[in-house]
Amino acid sequence: SMSHDTGGTLARYENDCKPDENRNKGASRWSHCRKRGADGSLRKSHAVEEPVKCSQSSRRPKSFTTPESEGPVSRVKNWGDEVEAEEMRSNVQRDMHRYRRRILEADFPQRDRKISSGSSDSRDSRDSKESSVKGDIETDEATLIRRQKQINYGKNTLAYDGYIKEVPKHMRQPGVHPKTPNKFKKYSRRSWDQQIKLWRVKLHAWDPPAEEGSDVQQIEVIDLGEIMDFELDVECSVDTESKCPTSSGVSLSLAEDSFTGTPKKVMKIEDTEMS
Amino acid sequence: MENSTKEEYKIQSFDLETQKLLKTALKDPGSVDLEKVSNVIVDQSLKDQIFSREAGRICYTIIQAEAKQTNGNVFRRNLLNRLQQEFKAREETRKRSTQEWVCLVSFICNIFDYLKVNNIPMMALVHPVYDCLFRLAQSDALQNEEEVDCLVLQLHRIGDQLEKMNMQLMDELFNLLRDGFLLQEDLSSMGRLLLLEILEFRAGGWTLSETAQKYYYSEVTD
Repeated sequence: SMSHDTGGTLARYENDCKPDENRNKGASRWSHCRKRGADGSLRKSHAVEEPVKCSQSSRRPKSFTTPESEGPVSRVKNWGDEVEAEEMRSNVQRDMHRYRRRILEADFPQRDRKISSGSSDSRDSRDSKESSVKGDIETDEATLIRRQKQINYGKNTLAYDGYIKEVPKHMRQPGVHPKTPNKFKKYSRRSWDQQIKLWRVKLHAWDPPAEEGSDVQQIEVIDLGEIMDFELDVECSVDTESKCPTSSGVSLSLAEDSFTGTPKKVMKIEDTEMS
Repeated sequence: MENSTKEEYKIQSFDLETQKLLKTALKDPGSVDLEKVSNVIVDQSLKDQIFSREAGRICYTIIQAEAKQTNGNVFRRNLLNRLQQEFKAREETRKRSTQEWVCLVSFICNIFDYLKVNNIPMMALVHPVYDCLFRLAQSDALQNEEEVDCLVLQLHRIGDQLEKMNMQLMDELFNLLRDGFLLQEDLSSMGRLLLLEILEFRAGGWTLSETAQKYYYSEVTD
């Protein structure tokens, strides 16, 4: 990135590139530039691109907006962070394309068509008009990135490592085994955060020492501070009293802090909630 | 195996202990101090011209190895931040030693070439790379064959990728090169030759026509 410290260098560029006599001669591109003047006053104000094009060729804008960024990119960032952010965005985009393809394939499974035309293409154009994607998928990049970060926190644990070693994907039973929340499905912020919490609670069953310990023990050991590490809309106060979840569904009625409540109830919730 | 690793990653110029460290980093990154490894690599690439042009490769491999083994990116982060420090100090480096400066440029460009993010070049490096090339295209640098040589080498290697990332800056850079070639009186004839070749190279879509290839790269027999 063109950091502020190139201010000095820019000045040098300007000096070096100020049209000296040779360069002045005849080159219409240079005289065009010089008409603008350093103060820009000889011309009407132009769009941001103009100065870059017309100015002495080495002058570059002090700030820039790339299509990928949300706005003017700060110049004093460290490269390590910047690249990690790029990678996160790129991974999320890649995941989205894959997910879309998977959904489309699920909608339009390859079938052997016994049509006289002999065509083996099962993608009927009528079908694709009906449903581009079953339901909406979450496409907001900031949301996807936030969700992915939360998932990464969960996956970056010994518990998760232990879990995936012990239970291969094809052996996973819904309701019994934790399932990573699907970041592409539309959920409210609250609902999503709840799912993440529940998922992480379940994963604690695979924490290293107390592997055979019941979930009851695990839940009491949870450090809520860790789970609350990432931003949550709703403030969470650790409430030691157990709260009774209603039957109307976890995501709507469950209070943030009810994890400190009776494990049995939480287990019940998990059974009903995890489909 | 031993020698091929040395050759593959061009680490012959390191002392033996450091070579050992690097080899371990390649196989078992979790067991070494990756910050130290990244510093060792950057330090050497500022001193060793051959290594500076090839160091991207070993960096890439260590990054992959670390990601696979521990899912971390300590090495990459440290490497990039150290590189950024060196980049910030480039003007002093250039004043102090042209050799170090051209090594730095080669290294940054090599990193740009090798370290991709999902097969896309790192956007964070695009402007810094251009900054370096623009600096090399200034008249004081063009006087100096070593710097012209570095400039054209980088453009040969990554010019097309850079252009894709930002066409406008590439156009501006080449305007400078054209001007330098035409108007700058204190260029050496080799410097001029190098500039002419790179101008033709880009004009040909980042490749030389057969006749141009013959002109520039054949032995002159009389």
